[in-house]
Amino acid sequence: MRFWVNVFAFVLVACLASAVPLAFAASGEEAEDAVADAEGRLRGAFAACLDAEAAGANVSGLMTRLSLAGVELSGARVSLAAGNFSDAIGRAEACRGLADGVSGDANALRTDAVAQAAGWWVTVLLSAAGSVVFVCVLFLVWRRFKRVYGDRLLKCRPEVVG
Amino acid sequence: MWSLAEYRYVFVAVGLVGVLGFTVPSAMLFVHLPSGERFSELYVLGPGRMAEGYPFNVSAGKDYLVYLGVGNHLGRAAYYEVVVKLRNSTEPLPNATSATPSPLPALYSYDVFLTDGQTWEDALSFGFDDVLFGVNVSSVGRLRVNSAWVNVNESAAWDSVNGGYFYEVFVELWLYDAAGKSFGFHNRFVNLWLNMTTGF
Repeated sequence: MRFWVNVFAFVLVACLASAVPLAFAASGEEAEDAVADAEGRLRGAFAACLDAEAAGANVSGLMTRLSLAGVELSGARVSLAAGNFSDAIGRAEACRGLADGVSGDANALRTDAVAQAAGWWVTVLLSAAGSVVFVCVLFLVWRRFKRVYGDRLLKCRPEVVG
Repeated sequence: MWSLAEYRYVFVAVGLVGVLGFTVPSAMLFVHLPSGERFSELYVLGPGRMAEGYPFNVSAGKDYLVYLGVGNHLGRAAYYEVVVKLRNSTEPLPNATSATPSPLPALYSYDVFLTDGQTWEDALSFGFDDVLFGVNVSSVGRLRVNSAWVNVNESAAWDSVNGGYFYEVFVELWLYDAAGKSFGFHNRFVNLWLNMTTGF
């Protein structure tokens, strides 16, 4: 009986010992996937910012947030290379969270910018209306000025010089 | 006193200027003025953030500090990767003519996002470990970049002309192409020659 208990204990310890490297391998793979995913999210967020900028939005605030995400990604890469997988995963997730937030905000900014750009005709209409009103007012002023000028001219007395 | 015809010219001029003023906002929607030359800048500064005091004679166990800078003048937002590498004098640098990067591995990288006209600066601190000196050769086992240790296993032969064991920390600038969804070497690099000494 004691012999079988020893055999069971040995098998149990051997199984646990062989499982430890497997657990670490999975963790390393997980960290690599997390970093790769964060890289992809960061690139996607930047593409969203470019679209928003092309639509006419101001993306300087978003770029600052992306830079913070970039710092996290650099840290995640360093941790991954150093074998600090849990830190790599943590920093990759932080990067992913920031990048996802920027993506959402960039899409909203782009929608606003597109809507604003679609109202270009309002600007043109205001410009045209402003020009017409200005010319009309100037014309009225000109007419009034001409009359005053004529009256003043009539009131002048001719003088003989010399 | 001006004649009426002269006053008419004044009114016409005021009218034209006014119409021009009202038209500018609309014109800006359709007319885009040509921008200047589009480029990116990459630079390295010494520990005092000036172009002086760069580290040259280095030894194991000490920390060295420089500052890296990138400027975006591309006319749009840009995503840069600033890649730090190490070489000895026989290993290849980036080729500016063919715009190809050095094939040496990246030791550290910064992800930098800049809008047009914006500039980025950050510290690059480094130190050496496992430095050995043999007969006319030195070797470096590990390089610390911004508190992260990287195995480099680099060696440099004695340079009898300049009198030293020379290594070069160099920094490449890569630019993300959103259309191609990949980074490409942006044909900009800066370098820093270092002479490895025993430190005594």
